[in-house]
Amino acid sequence: MAILEIRDVASGYGEVQILWGAKMGLEKGQLTSLVGANGAGKTTMLRTVMGLIKPWEGSVWFDGKDISHLPAHAKAELGVVLVPEGRQLFTDMSVEENLEMGASPVRARPHIKRNLEKVYEMFPRLKERRAQKGGTLSGGEQQMLAVARGIMAEPVVLMIDELSLGLAPVLVLGLFESLQQLKREGITLLLVEQNVQMALAVSDYGYVLAHGKVELQGPSRELARDDHVRAAYLGM
Amino acid sequence: MDFLFASIIDGLLLGFVYGIAAMGLTLIWGVMNVINLAHGPIIALGMFGVYLIFTGLGVNPYIGVVLVAVLGLLLGMLIYYIAVHRVINAPHLSTLLATFSINMIIIGLGTAVFSASPRNVDFSLGSMTLGPITLLGSRVVAAVASLLITGGLYAFLYKTRQGRYIRAVANNRDAAELMGVPSTKILALSFGLGTMLASVAGALIATFFPFTILAGGVYELKSFVIGVLGGLGNPIGALFGGLILGVLEGIIPTFMPTTWVPVLEFVLFVLILLVRPQGIFGAKK
Ligand SMILES: Nc1ncnc2c1ncn2[C@@H]1O[C@H](COP(=O)(O)OP(=O)(O)O)[C@@H](O)[C@H]1O
Ligand SMILES: [Mg+2]
Repeated sequence: MAILEIRDVASGYGEVQILWGAKMGLEKGQLTSLVGANGAGKTTMLRTVMGLIKPWEGSVWFDGKDISHLPAHAKAELGVVLVPEGRQLFTDMSVEENLEMGASPVRARPHIKRNLEKVYEMFPRLKERRAQKGGTLSGGEQQMLAVARGIMAEPVVLMIDELSLGLAPVLVLGLFESLQQLKREGITLLLVEQNVQMALAVSDYGYVLAHGKVELQGPSRELARDDHVRAAYLGM
Repeated sequence: MDFLFASIIDGLLLGFVYGIAAMGLTLIWGVMNVINLAHGPIIALGMFGVYLIFTGLGVNPYIGVVLVAVLGLLLGMLIYYIAVHRVINAPHLSTLLATFSINMIIIGLGTAVFSASPRNVDFSLGSMTLGPITLLGSRVVAAVASLLITGGLYAFLYKTRQGRYIRAVANNRDAAELMGVPSTKILALSFGLGTMLASVAGALIATFFPFTILAGGVYELKSFVIGVLGGLGNPIGALFGGLILGVLEGIIPTFMPTTWVPVLEFVLFVLILLVRPQGIFGAKK
């Protein structure tokens, strides 16, 4: 059974509908990817899952419960955590304060010390810059901090929007490596990427979103071999 | 010369109180980008709060100030939930109208209940004389209280979980919500703290100046001048802005008629907006 399920969700902004009955599920402990062209509606999907946008139709289920109408902070309390597109750091706060903010959910508070050590070990650069303001970090460091802040929330499901966007390939490889470690710890992961090739290379299962609907889905290895995917997203 | 010196000291003491009034305005702006047009009437409610507690119940006015603080916090949270929250994501005009309607309600009801006749809190702490200057006890206490309140506000914002949440929501509301922060409650708390500061400022002013239900307007305008002077959204800037304004108010009447004070304050206001709109001490980014 999927730990997080999105059932026929429709949503959008104002009068403009973006998602048209999107359906997907995340299997517990797996790394799932959601890929699609720029503007396909991936970010809108995540914002709807979190409740930053209210679903117009359909529902979101976590661990067998309908969580569609919970506000985002209540979802974070349950362990559904989003690392948003564009990092969205607390730019006026220090690196360490950003991480402490990540540990706001009640369920994360008892583990703050252990998690702090863990993320500093994963990202030693953050430890070096712990007293620096979030807004003064380089792009790569900001992305590390955004992911680390998400880890501090003690997630059951961690969703990351555009992990690789704008980062040098070597940094991206390092971050993907960290994801594998999180997966080994049992965290269910959703990687949302425009970089279709990389996302399919590291994930177990993939969804392709186009025009607000899931166009294709399957084990990532098979998707990467699919003729349509290769033509439309991998330029082959 | 002695006279000038005494005026400056007097103005400085008053400036601390102006500072916390402005801090209330600037805190709300800094956290949620809302200009609270009910700021003045809330200051007046603080004045009447102490007056009623002292004159009606016979309780020491400084205990009254503490009660006013608690009531101010609760009133602010109530105003947030009733009037502000529904338009918090709407354009500025909507939040201006929402807080302006609260302004009208308080003024309307206040005038009906209290009329517009002047009141005063008939209570004296005496005065002390240090060389050439005479300090009014109530002004010294108000200044010290304002300083303590500023310290308390900083301790709250930087040393407590709720305070950290306020700073996080001010910095990035969506991100705070995603990290498990109940941002609506935090906004209500911030609005409550802003009105608490305004009402306490009113309560302290009432211990040495007479007032009417309309008296808050003057202090609201001062708060705007101070807010812009100190940098909107910057509480410590508000305190320094308050001191600057207080000193100016002490000095100006020594060489011009007192009626020129608000005129010069507005000249200052416009000048700062033209020359350094981020304020002397820098606005919140
Ligand atoms: N705040 C917004 N208001 C209106 N339209 C938006 C907003 N954000 C995104 N959109 C539109 O929604 C569509 C999907 O965007 P998005 O979900 O960000 O796609 P993706 O993340 O797949 O690139 C785009 O056409 C975009 O222009
Ligand atoms: Mg996106």
